[in-house]
Order: sequence, then C-alpha cells, then structure tokens
Amino acid sequence: MNGLISSNAFWTIWLFIHLILAVGLLGALTHQAMAVALPARKAAGGIMTRYRAVPAAGYATAVCVLWVLTFLVGSYIYTSYRINIRIPLEQGHYFKTGGFFDFKEHVATLGLVLLPAYWFFWKNPQNPEYDNARKGVTLVLAVMCWFLFIVGHVLNNTRGFGA
Amino acid sequence: MSTTATTNRISPATTAGSSLATSSKFKTFATIFSISGPLVYCLTVYLNWPVFTYWPATGRLAWGFGAASTSDGPNMTWYGWTLTTILISAGLGLMAMMLPERMMRKLPLALVWILPILAIPFVIYSLMFWWRLAFRLG
Repeated sequence: MNGLISSNAFWTIWLFIHLILAVGLLGALTHQAMAVALPARKAAGGIMTRYRAVPAAGYATAVCVLWVLTFLVGSYIYTSYRINIRIPLEQGHYFKTGGFFDFKEHVATLGLVLLPAYWFFWKNPQNPEYDNARKGVTLVLAVMCWFLFIVGHVLNNTRGFGA
Repeated sequence: MSTTATTNRISPATTAGSSLATSSKFKTFATIFSISGPLVYCLTVYLNWPVFTYWPATGRLAWGFGAASTSDGPNMTWYGWTLTTILISAGLGLMAMMLPERMMRKLPLALVWILPILAIPFVIYSLMFWWRLAFRLG
C-alpha cells in the first residue's frame, strides 16, 4: 500500500497477524477448557496432566484481550474478503464455504458478548457460586474458538494467502 | 516425583486490587450483558437492525440498513449488527445495575453459556440462502 508493498502483501500480512493472534487465543482457551473440564489433582505427571494443571485463572484477561484483538483484525480483513474472496467463491459455487464463513462471523460476535461475564467469573475463582457458569462459559468459548479457527483455516486453503 | 498442590485454581490474592472483579454492580452489568447479548444479536439479525451499513467497494458508510447497489457494490451489515448488539446489551446491563441486588440473585448464571448454544440453530437457519444455493447449485 502507498507504493511500499503490494495490496496482496498488505492483506497477507494482516491475515498473518490474525492467524498469530488466533493461535495464541486457541492455546490459552484450550488450556483453560482442559483445566476446568478435567482438573488435575497433581502438578507433576505426564504431558496431559501438566497441560491440564495450568493456573487457568491467569489466562482470563489474556483470552479477553486476544479475542477482541483477533475480532478487530478479522473485522478489518473482512472488508477485503467481501470483495476479493466472497465474490469469486460465489462465482465458483463454493456456497458451503461462503455459508460457513458467515456462520463464523456470527459465532465470533456471540463469543464477544460472553467476555464480560467470562472475565468476571474467572476473576472470582474462590467463589463456588460461579463454578458451573465459569466452566460452562469457558467450554463454550473454547468450542467456538476451535470452530472459528478451523473454518478460517479451511477458507484460507480455499482462497486465502496470496489470493 | 509429584506434588499434591492443585495448580489450576488461583488464590484470592490474585484478584486483589481489581475493583471491577469485586464489584457487585459490575457483576450485574457483565452477566446481563452476556445473557442478553446472544438474544439481542439474534433479534438484530432477524429484524435486520444494523446501526450502520458499510459498502467496502466504495468505502461508503450510512446509518441503518442500506441495500447493495450497482454504484456502491455489495453491502456489509455485520459490523452494524454487532454494534447494535453491544449498544443494546450494554444499555440493558446499565439498567439492570439500578435494580435491587436481590432480584439479580434469582437469575440463573447458567444462562450465560446456555443461550449462546441455543442461538446456534437460529444462526444456521438465518444462513438458509447459502445452504439452499449449496443444495441446488453446489
């Protein structure tokens, strides 16, 4: 852009930033989801036990920040997607791919609105009143995040980097 | 070698200094915002109430809903739907903060994660035009 880099490179860089943020979010949420679904009783053990034994509450703010940043960068890329990706997808009759991308945008917003309660529940881990809600909202967000990531990955394979 | 410490819990000290995390008003705002969010989003999509519409081909922005056109190209309403949802949910959250705390205690917190799951079938249904095209032409 502005003669420094091509439009193609510009959007590819933003797509890459979106990917890096999404990977961080996916890792943090998966750790947390494992910690609440299958809490480890001992810190040491095999790799799966150690994976589940993370101090899950410490991830809450990072998850919120990463979700918002990934959402904002994705929203920015979306403008290019609407013109340069979706129209060729429709012309190529990739309707399921296009439909799943729209599904992804809805899920991203549904996840976004859960963040205030999610953050509050995790910032009060000593309160047993929030245990079930904390577990439920964390698992829902983790499933959403995996869905968003996989759909984004498939879409990128269809027409993403360098397209 | 192992320890008996449970490490996936955090001590109350971690939340010290965070006034939001200990505020009952914020708890009310956060739970009402998150509970109403999926409902408001579904309603916003169903009624097509974007705060604004964006046309990415020309960079045009307009209040409310605007259709795709030959001069401006395809329209984008998702940003507007998201903003509508945030504004209405935040408004509901702020109003709930004025209610007596005992009323909020009766609200099941499980709604925070149940309602987004219930919203998924509606979202899939709202994309029926894609699935129909895939079935007919894909």
